[in-house]
Amino acid sequence: MKIYVSGLYAGGNPQPGVGIVRSLRQGYPDATIVGVEYSNRVSGIHFDELDELWIQRPWGELDLDAYGDKVCEALDAGGLWISGSDLEAMWLASVFPDGHPNLLAPPMSGIKRITKPVVEAASSLPIKIPTYLSTEHSDWDLHAFCREHNWRVWLKGPYYDASRTPTWDTFTAVRNALSKVWSTEKLFLQAHVSGYEESVMLSAYRGELLGAVSMRKRDITPEGKTWAGDVSEVPLAFMEPLRQMVRDTNWTGGGELEMVRDGSDQLWLIEMNPRFPAWVHGSTIAGHNLPALLVQAASGVVAKTVPAEASEFTRIVLEVPVRPDYPLPPLPEPFAGAVGHSMKHPSGLTALAARLHKIDPDMLDVAMAPDGTEPPNGLAELPDTFVADIGRQDFDAMQTPQYIYMESTAESLFKRADDRAHRLSTNDVEVISGYSIKTNPDKRLIKLALDHGFYAEAISLGEVQSALEVGFRPDQVILNGPGKWWPEGLMPRETMHAVFCDSIADLDRVVAAVAAGEMSAKHIGIRIRTPNITSRFGIPLDSPTTFAKLIAAVKRLPTDSAFGVHFHMASSHVGVAQWWHLFESMLRWCQSIEKLSGRTIEMLDMGGGWYPDDWHEDQISKIARAVERVRTMLPAVRQIASEPGKAMAQPSMALAMRILEIQEHEDDYVEAVVDASIAEIPMHFWQPHRMVRKCSETGELQPIGRGKTHLMGRLCMEHDIIASNVQLPEGTRAGDLLIFCDAGGYDRSMSYVFGRG
Amino acid sequence: MYLAEDKAKASTVQPADGHCADTVDLMTAATAPGGKWQTFPNSHISHHGAACCDIAHEWLIAFDYAQLNGGDVLTGPRWMREHSKWGPTAWPIHWCEAVDADVVDCGVHAAIAQEAFVARGVPAFRAQFIQRYSADATASWRENWDKESVSDHWIDGDAIYHEGNAVLVGTDEVKLWDGSAGWWINPRGEMGYGSLAAVRIEADLEGFEDGLRWGERRIKLNQWVAV
Repeated sequence: MKIYVSGLYAGGNPQPGVGIVRSLRQGYPDATIVGVEYSNRVSGIHFDELDELWIQRPWGELDLDAYGDKVCEALDAGGLWISGSDLEAMWLASVFPDGHPNLLAPPMSGIKRITKPVVEAASSLPIKIPTYLSTEHSDWDLHAFCREHNWRVWLKGPYYDASRTPTWDTFTAVRNALSKVWSTEKLFLQAHVSGYEESVMLSAYRGELLGAVSMRKRDITPEGKTWAGDVSEVPLAFMEPLRQMVRDTNWTGGGELEMVRDGSDQLWLIEMNPRFPAWVHGSTIAGHNLPALLVQAASGVVAKTVPAEASEFTRIVLEVPVRPDYPLPPLPEPFAGAVGHSMKHPSGLTALAARLHKIDPDMLDVAMAPDGTEPPNGLAELPDTFVADIGRQDFDAMQTPQYIYMESTAESLFKRADDRAHRLSTNDVEVISGYSIKTNPDKRLIKLALDHGFYAEAISLGEVQSALEVGFRPDQVILNGPGKWWPEGLMPRETMHAVFCDSIADLDRVVAAVAAGEMSAKHIGIRIRTPNITSRFGIPLDSPTTFAKLIAAVKRLPTDSAFGVHFHMASSHVGVAQWWHLFESMLRWCQSIEKLSGRTIEMLDMGGGWYPDDWHEDQISKIARAVERVRTMLPAVRQIASEPGKAMAQPSMALAMRILEIQEHEDDYVEAVVDASIAEIPMHFWQPHRMVRKCSETGELQPIGRGKTHLMGRLCMEHDIIASNVQLPEGTRAGDLLIFCDAGGYDRSMSYVFGRG
Repeated sequence: MYLAEDKAKASTVQPADGHCADTVDLMTAATAPGGKWQTFPNSHISHHGAACCDIAHEWLIAFDYAQLNGGDVLTGPRWMREHSKWGPTAWPIHWCEAVDADVVDCGVHAAIAQEAFVARGVPAFRAQFIQRYSADATASWRENWDKESVSDHWIDGDAIYHEGNAVLVGTDEVKLWDGSAGWWINPRGEMGYGSLAAVRIEADLEGFEDGLRWGERRIKLNQWVAV
């Protein structure tokens, strides 16, 4: 009996080949086992249990047709083939679309049904699929997905490769890298599931399940790969649907379902692999020799059984002699002046991915939606008010770059916030909004805030003055922040609405100032820094000692002012669900503060950093519930202030710019220079902007999608790239007008004068 | 570990004493699963009856919730092991000391975890364990405890007494939380170094007359059960 086994890479992230060989050797001591590989750098080829080696040139060099013929000859001659590589299994499935009795790998129809992330074939198993989104969606939607899942998300390619993308700039960088590696734009984002990792490995022949085992990871590598585990029987509730899945897919070969078990015991499927896992021999050690069962089913030759040695396994690192006929190749020299050696997979698997795309462009597609569903077009929809506001501009007379005030957009946003505050207010508890002046100190926005019943939230006395100049009264001002005494001499003597202390030192200064008659406020309170979230602001609650200091400090607050608590964390930064957890946590801290200090909280100020969509669209019911929660947990609260921040400002301005030059390079790669720069749009690393081109002929606003164009700013700075991977509409040329929406928040307030003369 | 009966006389115990005022005969042979710990009570943290302990207790509950990070309420309070390492504790100990200490023993970890679970609304019970180690391991711990002049009565030959929590995850199913290790104890019942030899779950019998299910086993309450 001759058995070909591939996937012999035995590095830190090993393939299963060596484990398969070890297991087969136990079941078939006399079999001829041939190691198949595509590089002599793969260390597993030196494993002494291999009788023969069949070393091919790397995948990038191989003549696939000729190689396919050779594999066919080997199978026709009676050889059995167990693939240890996902991509090789896919290629074999393309060579043998109807299978081959001796090819112990799944058919293409089966592989297609386990495509990530939906893994349709596993839908009847008692497992869930973590939420995901195709990167074919617009950047606007992808950013929303990341926020919704607290930036605990993974960007994944069709096979292998998953990178955590905790920030937008990381996401865009990883997306570029993965798209290049896998020769596809079709990636997907998936929500992280926290828990313990476990797997089910199966062995099947022609739709019949031969065996399956369950394994829990007990030690892992830094990449999260199995280093040790315990093996057990698959529970019946899992086994029966698994058996049906194997029948439905007419599965042949090994397979692995990689899962996470969360705190409530729910299993989440991360992916299914069309091969045995690298820990396959761990199962054999536990008495479940699944590769031998596979060979037994295909050959009819009964495998030798070996009793279980243990129910747990672990790995060790061994040095083995190198085969003299395959001496180690030299390590490639690092590029001149560069650091480190290339550690790419030696067999060139990513080159195989590129070639598989050419054989069948859909073969490596991720599976997102049922067949027939229209795929997303990657374009963000523009709200009607954006279109109307842009339409009112006289761009012919406009010097660019230029911020555009989106008048009707801004008005509608402030009006909605005003209406909501009224709707949520009761006789007992008033709900108010505070306009955070720092987000955009444009007087038009401050005036809108005044006109719509907002209070003015200021972090400096300069901002207080701006609010007063527009028409706010001191008793409509909330003063906050770590530097509220700056600039000197501008503190209003009239009673302000609220003053929050950012530290105990700040609190002591406020207490002294109130005592000296230098300042007065209806509410005086504290900003708290909830643990577990990195922040430089507020009074920390990290230890009982700091908490005791806070309690003592609260007791020092003047009793003729009402007591307030301020809590602020940017929901766009920590994520929406995380923000609501923090909110709930903050209420609990407030209850403790009330209980221990003897002061009841009458005002609660909760910020902020809301992304516009999160605030305006689907948060209404949550905010109503939050108000109700405050009423329940802190019954003395009479006023709740919320600070929508950039939810008001960000959509209220756009940035118009013109294309100065278009440079076309090879492979559709285009660089376009525009007259704007990161000086006008400094947040481009951290958030997407909805972009349009104004067609010079029709005046139509054409959305800008994703493609191979980079928009370079006008500044002579390397990082002045204001948008990467965009697709300019057909016919775009120098002189054309581009408009970046969503630029009215920190883009506007943090813009600077560099490069303007 | 601190004996329940000492809680009542906490005010008379000098914290500098450093030794547990236990009534257990340390020389009793480990003939039953509980061995010399057959009637050993769970550890309890004392309260000064003053603001210091109120503040510490409130902080503990709010801090645990903050650390949940939006995760499932059945997530183990893993933060405790980061906040205070496992090591010798001089008993009695009060909330204001226990919550702020850099090093505490398993009795403190278990008592704190119990407060945390219950405050989250998760039904949880105190659990006691006997674990197998080796002579080398127990000798090393004995030395460390002796250096701190703290009683090492939790060590007996190759076995140790340990405390944790049993957390109800179904109608009558529990998971066993080892707060000092920061992990859930494997119910498969392996033998050998670090394995669980016996468990006792202290709980009101009402509703659990048949005990609680832990993995494949059913644990009778308030008695030592060999694993």
